[in-house]
Amino acid sequence: MIIEVENLVKHYGEVKAVDGVSFNVEEGEIFGLLGPNGAGKTTLMEIICGLRRFDSGKVTVQRYDLVKDAYKIRGFIGFCPQETLLYDLLSVRENFAFSASLYRLSSKKFKERVEFSSKVLGVGDFLDRRVEQLSGGMKRRANLAASIIHDPLIVILDEPTVGFDPTIKREFWELIKNLKHYGKTVLLSTHDMYEADEICDRVAIMERGKIAALDKPHILKKTIGGEPTLHIKVKESQLDEAIKILDKHACTVIDDEIQVLAKNPWKMMSEISEKLVSHGVYTDRIEIVEPTLEDVFMKLSGKRLNVEE
Amino acid sequence: MNPIMGIAVKDIKTFFREKGTIFWTIAFPILIMLLFTAIFGRDIPFNANIGIVNEDNETPITNNMVSELNNTGFLVVKTFTNRVEALRELNVSNVRGVVIIPQNFTTDFISGHANISLVVDGTNPDVARLVSNGIKTFFTQYYKTVIPGYTAPIEVNEEISFVGQEIGYKENIVPGMLCYPLLFSSMVVSTGAIVYEREKGTLKKIRASPIHPISMLFGKTLAALFQTAISILIMAVMAVTLLAPSLNWDVSLLVPIMFLGSMNGIALGLIISCIGRAPQEASNAATTIGIVLQFFIGMYFPIEYLPTYLQQVGKVIPMTYAAQAIRDIMVRNATLNDILLPIATLTFSAIILYAVGVLLYKRWVEK
Repeated sequence: MIIEVENLVKHYGEVKAVDGVSFNVEEGEIFGLLGPNGAGKTTLMEIICGLRRFDSGKVTVQRYDLVKDAYKIRGFIGFCPQETLLYDLLSVRENFAFSASLYRLSSKKFKERVEFSSKVLGVGDFLDRRVEQLSGGMKRRANLAASIIHDPLIVILDEPTVGFDPTIKREFWELIKNLKHYGKTVLLSTHDMYEADEICDRVAIMERGKIAALDKPHILKKTIGGEPTLHIKVKESQLDEAIKILDKHACTVIDDEIQVLAKNPWKMMSEISEKLVSHGVYTDRIEIVEPTLEDVFMKLSGKRLNVEE
Repeated sequence: MNPIMGIAVKDIKTFFREKGTIFWTIAFPILIMLLFTAIFGRDIPFNANIGIVNEDNETPITNNMVSELNNTGFLVVKTFTNRVEALRELNVSNVRGVVIIPQNFTTDFISGHANISLVVDGTNPDVARLVSNGIKTFFTQYYKTVIPGYTAPIEVNEEISFVGQEIGYKENIVPGMLCYPLLFSSMVVSTGAIVYEREKGTLKKIRASPIHPISMLFGKTLAALFQTAISILIMAVMAVTLLAPSLNWDVSLLVPIMFLGSMNGIALGLIISCIGRAPQEASNAATTIGIVLQFFIGMYFPIEYLPTYLQQVGKVIPMTYAAQAIRDIMVRNATLNDILLPIATLTFSAIILYAVGVLLYKRWVEK
């Protein structure tokens, strides 16, 4: 285990931001902390990075104790918070040089790492441009590159794609997956269930400072998310009739779409299609929708994931 | 609401929610007003040490005269047994003037015509003028109160003593101007350095790295020293170019004093930046403290202008020693021996202030 967190507690005054959290991160995996804003993800990450003290519990990184060996541990970690931590008036290369100086990188190693960043993170085209002249996407890439310029074992990313449009988000997901291929362990926080599902090997779902569930995304969906659903779209004029026909199936209607829980979705899809056709109701669309991490979170907390606390 | 009003309302609301900013906004005019009132708003706007050498065997008349001098309220009298000792103290600025009561003064006084000698420190023309006028006025009035039959004022034979070189207004003001960067540039730059990082969020990056807080503070100090040095250099070049003062530019003595003075200012700035929670609060605090301190350290006008109790405050401010040492080097041709006390004081205070800065910074980052 590269990171071990044991019964961690952190208060902000009366508020328990992290409430007895325990989990381990294996070397080389992408581990996600999924939860809404205020769930305690950022606090937890900042504690691991040594930016915040904690009240009780234990954290070890590479078997070093966070309290006793804080400075040593910081050398293993590359922390990339939500905000862009670059100096606007410096070029990207100058920002890298500053970050490298914090970790006492040799000039040879620095050159290698700049090459790595250019190749893997795609910052080569704007290395010598001032940060203030870069687009938002470029800044975020440069920010990530600056935070791992010292070649850390662990990369900690706090909401790495928040505010991105879908295209850049996907690009970033590829960058993060690439880091794994280069042997990095990634710990990231997100409130985007698709992001967690897409790139994380394991996900811890956090709610009110606690871990509500932790496993691989597909296992979480299977064990907690529940059964798949059939989503049936019929002509608006035939909606009431269709609901009558499917009366026995305990269906719900959301946005003019009939949703039916399906233990055996393929079999049920053909049965329902036949039944509707036999009554003269024709479907525009019928599809099987597997449970998502959103459903998992709903089951655990009774709330939707993207609703802020 | 239009955007201009929206911004204004937001800023006003923010102002009222930043307690520190409110405090400094109120404190600044109050402190300045108190200070100006204390300095200029009284009947006796001056206070200086003077030495007395009584060569007339301490007769009742001379003893009474010394006692009355001491009671003027603007002179603090120190008694010396001989001229050499008194002039030595004059040379090191411990007294600003020496009154010599000659032998047979009492006899002359009773016979109707007496005089005394006055040696005034001329290295600060303002102080020299004030001391000279004050003492002359005293002796002009004194005869009227002592012997009713005595009709002529006591004549004051004045000589000005210049240590180093005779100076004019330009020479008087330039050493004070050179203190400006020590006080403002160093303090404001170092306050801004940390506050900027905090505001921008980049302090998080530094704190997440394996560098020790002391390394971070040293890095900031170096940068602030560099900026302060540039300010000093610009000031010096401008002073030489525009005013061409006739001063002793002994770089080997000025550099260490300015370095130590800057270190004190930087350390103070670091402390302010760790205490101030909001950037505006820290910035206001640094500016206010800088403006207030300039009155106490004898930068623009002699410390003797201050009331006695405020002079005591000035004497515990390390920057006062830097200002005095710079003046001594440039005006009095002071040697290394002469500035050992300021060097020791500034070194000691820089270490203390720095230690406090490091502790506050560590406490702040480890919260």
